[in-house]
Amino acid sequence: MMTDKKLSSSFRDPSGFLFFRDGLIYRQVNTIYKENYDRLINSGLYETLVHGELLIPHDEVDVDYARSDKAYKIIKPELISFISYPYEWCFSQFKGAALTTLKIQKKSLNFGMSLKDCSTYNIQFRKGKPVFIDTLSFEKHREGQPWVAYRQFCQHFLAPLALMSYQDIRLNQLFRVYMDGVPLDLTSSLLPFRTRFVFSLLSHIHLHAKSQKHFADKSIDMTRHKMSHEGFLGLIDNLESTIKKLKWQPLGTEWADYYEDTNYSSDALHHKKEIVAEFLDKINPGIVWDLGANVGMFSRIASDRGIQTISFDIDPAAVEKNYLECVRKGETNILPLLLDLTNPSPGIGWQNQERTSLLERGPTDAVFALALIHHLAISNNLPFDKIASFLSEICNSLIIEFVPKNDSQVQRLLSTREDIFPDYIEQVFEGEFLRYFTIESSVRIRDSERTLYLMQRRKFR
Amino acid sequence: MNIFRHLTTLTVLFAFFCFVFPQEAYAYLDPGTGSYIFQLVIAVLIGGSFAIKLYWGKIKTFFASLFSKKTKR
Repeated sequence: MMTDKKLSSSFRDPSGFLFFRDGLIYRQVNTIYKENYDRLINSGLYETLVHGELLIPHDEVDVDYARSDKAYKIIKPELISFISYPYEWCFSQFKGAALTTLKIQKKSLNFGMSLKDCSTYNIQFRKGKPVFIDTLSFEKHREGQPWVAYRQFCQHFLAPLALMSYQDIRLNQLFRVYMDGVPLDLTSSLLPFRTRFVFSLLSHIHLHAKSQKHFADKSIDMTRHKMSHEGFLGLIDNLESTIKKLKWQPLGTEWADYYEDTNYSSDALHHKKEIVAEFLDKINPGIVWDLGANVGMFSRIASDRGIQTISFDIDPAAVEKNYLECVRKGETNILPLLLDLTNPSPGIGWQNQERTSLLERGPTDAVFALALIHHLAISNNLPFDKIASFLSEICNSLIIEFVPKNDSQVQRLLSTREDIFPDYIEQVFEGEFLRYFTIESSVRIRDSERTLYLMQRRKFR
Repeated sequence: MNIFRHLTTLTVLFAFFCFVFPQEAYAYLDPGTGSYIFQLVIAVLIGGSFAIKLYWGKIKTFFASLFSKKTKR
């Protein structure tokens, strides 16, 4: 029997929608979108974009797969292994997503088409690069018409990037609240005054926001006003150069030794890598989530083996450095993302279902929790039971490191607070985790007090 | 200065559409109207400099060729 499920995020656009059937993803193209779909394919734009790794490739399948009588075609897009959201991207990922969108728009214009939708959610990371995933966002460009997605581009890309660059790197978190991009009036009030002297920001953000406010309750006959071709191209070109000029680098940080602050001897570090590799070879997972991955040193033990690896960290600087290394090396199996484990991405949007929570995007085959347990248990007062329960919800196999109380990193965490953690000992840790996992192997890391465990989730608890 | 010229033009244009733009009653539009109108205004400004940027290469080549011809003579 076939099992169908329409994607909870795919309902706004009448041009079509995504659905799952038997675990595979399909997109229904509705008859209303026929002319634009045919133009996308027949003009050569689709081929150009797919060849340039800018648009997700798809196959056309039997229209009998249709879920309604409105269907013109059914397409089967390549599956993205992990869906990520703008509030999980570092600065360079965000910037790359913006530039990819503009590149697509420029190419589309060469083929007489234009993007009608510029949502950040239309960009995903595929083989390490940003790629556009909404095949139904292209429409015929009508000469003289302004860019229908201009406001959306400013709210979804320019506003958060300007805030991250000029004010605070953490402001992409505003996306968790504002689904349709950061409102321009809010952006204008949050940006420093000096941005009013940057022509592009003065115009696309500050004056744009004022214009929105001024015309909010007014009715205008828009059919009378045309935009020149040069004006249209100039606008896209100006947005592109504006985005390119936005930069971010952690202040007061020497990138070269940004994360050298560990207490491992080189022998211990080497041994830890060996154990992780050995455990990985035992379980041979398809996908790994590395929680608290830092700059991805251990993630790469997995990704270098061809395993799809999501490299999560709470620190925007660590994620940025990790991502830049992916770009520099052309790595295709690793995706660094921002994540606060104590408050992971929730389900947001309509019915809390448009953007799925972290838990809904799991479970994954294997989780790395290396040098993490003390941060959760001591810095965040999380009992072992809560940690084990959470981890058992998101993975089948677990590679976890126990860092004992006498370790200097734990002592550092305890130096400014009262030690209210009498149960923070290895025996209690094992006992609590055994309620959710079986311990397949445990190895003491040479030249350290730390232990690495390989655990398997219990099928029946 | 380029930036001052830009700013002046932008301010004048902005003031123009804020107060002079015809407002008619037969199409109710959402708050996106302001973005739409603003885009038309900014495109006028940017379009001009974009055209110059596009043709700048050609202009440079033209003058370079003139100069080189003179030098040859």
